[in-house]
Amino acid sequence: MAFLIRTIAVAKSGREIVRDRRVEKDELIIGRDPASDIHLPDLTVELQHLKLTDAGKGMVAARALGELPFNLDGTSVTEARIDPDAGAEIAVGPALLAVSRDADGSVQIIIKPAPKDKSAGEPEAGFLMASAMPSKRAMAWTFFGLIFVLLLSVPVITHQFREKVENDPENLETGSVLFDASWSTGDLSMAHHDLEDNCEACHQTAFVSVQDETCITCHEELDDHAKMDRQLTGMAPFSTGDQIQWDIGQALGKEGPLGCVSCHTEHEGPVKLEASTEKFCADCHNDMDARLTDVAFSNAGDFGEKHPQFRPKFYTAHFDKKAKRVSLDDKPVEKSGLVFPHDIHVSETGGAAKMALSLSQYGAPLECSDCHEEDKNAPGGFKPVVMEDSCEACHSLVSGTAGGAFTKLRHGDVTDLMEDLAKVNLASRRTVVTGRGRPGQYASSGRYYANFGRPMTAYIAINRALQKGGTCGDCHLRTTTDGRLDLIPVNIPDKYIHGGFFPHEAHGDDVAECKDCHATETSGEATDLLIPDLESCRDCHLGETAVKTEEIVPSGCAMCHGYHTPAMPWKPADHPDLPGNGGNDNVAAILSSLRR
Amino acid sequence: MATAADNRFREDEKRRDADHISFLKHRGFRWLWMALLLCAFSIIGYALIDQEPRPNGGSWYGYTLGTVGLLLIVWLSMLGIRKRRISEGAWSLKAWTSAHVYLGLALIVVGTLHTGFQIGWNVHTLAYVLMLIVIISGIYGVYAYAALPKELSANRGDKTGGDMLDTIADIDRKLESAAQPLGRAGSDLVIGVLEQDVFYAGAFSRLTGSYPGCATKRALAGIPATGSDAEIRVHELLTARAEQLAQIRRHLRIKAMLEIWLFIHIPATIALLAALLAHVISVFYYW
Repeated sequence: MAFLIRTIAVAKSGREIVRDRRVEKDELIIGRDPASDIHLPDLTVELQHLKLTDAGKGMVAARALGELPFNLDGTSVTEARIDPDAGAEIAVGPALLAVSRDADGSVQIIIKPAPKDKSAGEPEAGFLMASAMPSKRAMAWTFFGLIFVLLLSVPVITHQFREKVENDPENLETGSVLFDASWSTGDLSMAHHDLEDNCEACHQTAFVSVQDETCITCHEELDDHAKMDRQLTGMAPFSTGDQIQWDIGQALGKEGPLGCVSCHTEHEGPVKLEASTEKFCADCHNDMDARLTDVAFSNAGDFGEKHPQFRPKFYTAHFDKKAKRVSLDDKPVEKSGLVFPHDIHVSETGGAAKMALSLSQYGAPLECSDCHEEDKNAPGGFKPVVMEDSCEACHSLVSGTAGGAFTKLRHGDVTDLMEDLAKVNLASRRTVVTGRGRPGQYASSGRYYANFGRPMTAYIAINRALQKGGTCGDCHLRTTTDGRLDLIPVNIPDKYIHGGFFPHEAHGDDVAECKDCHATETSGEATDLLIPDLESCRDCHLGETAVKTEEIVPSGCAMCHGYHTPAMPWKPADHPDLPGNGGNDNVAAILSSLRR
Repeated sequence: MATAADNRFREDEKRRDADHISFLKHRGFRWLWMALLLCAFSIIGYALIDQEPRPNGGSWYGYTLGTVGLLLIVWLSMLGIRKRRISEGAWSLKAWTSAHVYLGLALIVVGTLHTGFQIGWNVHTLAYVLMLIVIISGIYGVYAYAALPKELSANRGDKTGGDMLDTIADIDRKLESAAQPLGRAGSDLVIGVLEQDVFYAGAFSRLTGSYPGCATKRALAGIPATGSDAEIRVHELLTARAEQLAQIRRHLRIKAMLEIWLFIHIPATIALLAALLAHVISVFYYW
């Protein structure tokens, strides 16, 4: 069998160089070994890679000699039969061997080098880091795109096209804005924790700052601290920087410096609402009269050093319809319409004490609480003193007996009293019992019987109750109305202190007794106003910056005053169990304390 | 009186001197002083101005620092545009680069004070962190540009990168013919060597100089130095190749350390611009 072997090489110029040779052999060895019939100098080729043999009938058998297979018409095989008439292509290493039938009948093998991958570009570019890293530009735009889409576009678009729903902490899904948590500058305060994933509950309109009306939807019960125009006048002037910021902010629709969020800043972490500091109040109140010249109260900046005298509100004249506020410095005289010497009643030795001792319901000298019963829900912290409960045990209105029970005068209305008095004169006197009967018609059932028994003194007093020296006058001031005997109406206010708040329970037995502050033991007249004055409070309470000792309690404004509810204490009522905020030890706080 | 020629000479001298002064020392550290001044003003203002209830990016001083920071960042990022235009004078590229470095450093102070030290998992802190990444990578960049070129030329000697690659190519040609008599296993090892691109390894290998998949090393281990003539010859060639590779890899390592910071600095800058946009818009969107 003859093989016609044609080798085609490509010169650098691209010209093909063709060499033909004839091999008269029955078998043909193809390999890297230089002794091979077809020498393929390539390391991927086995030393003896492939053997072609005559298989008879014009066919050629191909068999791999080593471990490596060869490639026949695109299929990797180790053995094959080839029909040169049909033609075939064997790939060994990088070389392509096209098997066909030559015109003279011999088997023709055309050897072509496989096209080599030419490494493209400048080889030295490999030294650049860029060849081993993702492109800077690609990375840059990827990051830009991610941030732009996820952290800006998604929140904006979902906010713009959201379904606007009523705020509902139970259903945050409906109408929620996506990914806007990434916009939150910090956790909300604990009271607003439920709104954490509900930014749009407060931030309702794009580029419009949180509006007061939004806050008021939940906090509708809050009052303004004062009328807005008065507050604006009374406020401390801003620094230039703050003024510019407010001017710009308000020009852009931000609520002014009296808006809710101006004080109630949010996103400061899971803190609870703190009482305002003394400085916060003093900013305006320390020199308020310079700006609000017509204001009724004086400046205040520190309870220990700068606080006006208390001005309780009470009735300053009989028959007054309205209570008036009078400074305790102005020697106030209360016209309650009553006669009540506190000193006699609280004395531990006098008649009142003896009387109380003898009565089972007291069993001891009177105490303040016998008449003044604490009641947190009452306006002044005490139930009103009721005559029937507190006075009548001693100041009896019993007018006689009827059917085995006592009768008594009705209290509270002079007309009722007059009716009851008319009946008293008809009441029977106690029979005089001496052990000896009178004779005949003079006996008790006889015609000439006369009751010589002594009228009871109480009856006498009752009889003349409204007259001078009568029972009513024990406690009441008498007058005449349209010529008729009458009493001056009792005028005792529900509470005395209106501009602040005083919790009696915080001053319980272990702190002070009533008489420590209320001069009951030396008060002989009901016209004495027993409200303690500023000085007496300062025995223990000084300003916020005072040094705390066993006796001194540093007291900020908020201890007695509320910003929105001046007569009520500031109290975080909704969240009484919140933990404290702890010390503020961040850099800003340290700097702030250093500044002061 | 100085003649025109004298003046011309003096000016030329000045220019020639200036040409050889580092951007760090440009004009007697002018921008260093400007940056220090900016830092000092920022810190003093932060310490002295009482911001109620607490220092915060939303106070007037916070807005001021934020605006300064924003303008600085935008301007600093424009170095990428500026450096592609050739000009000279007061705003020469050197002046610009000097300002870029020092004002960029001052941004640490301005940006940090703008945060009011309030940090969280949000887009605002993202912008801050990206800013720090940009600045820190930039600081490294300054160090790299100052220190590494010396190492690079020391390693290279009088060879260029192309020379090194030519050496490898030369060795490879010899290797291919020398390996012809080798058996299958040896051939495969040599094929592995020839097929492996000099730059096959990734950025990590370049930076660390660790090439665990190196075919040359594997072939050196697999083909004995004492064996057939062909094997001895191949081993010699492989040894020469490994030496040349080592030099190339040192070169790669230094170049990687010289260039890697830009792969952080630039993408982080662009990401920072996006985060800054989101930061500013979101703050006023949810005002």
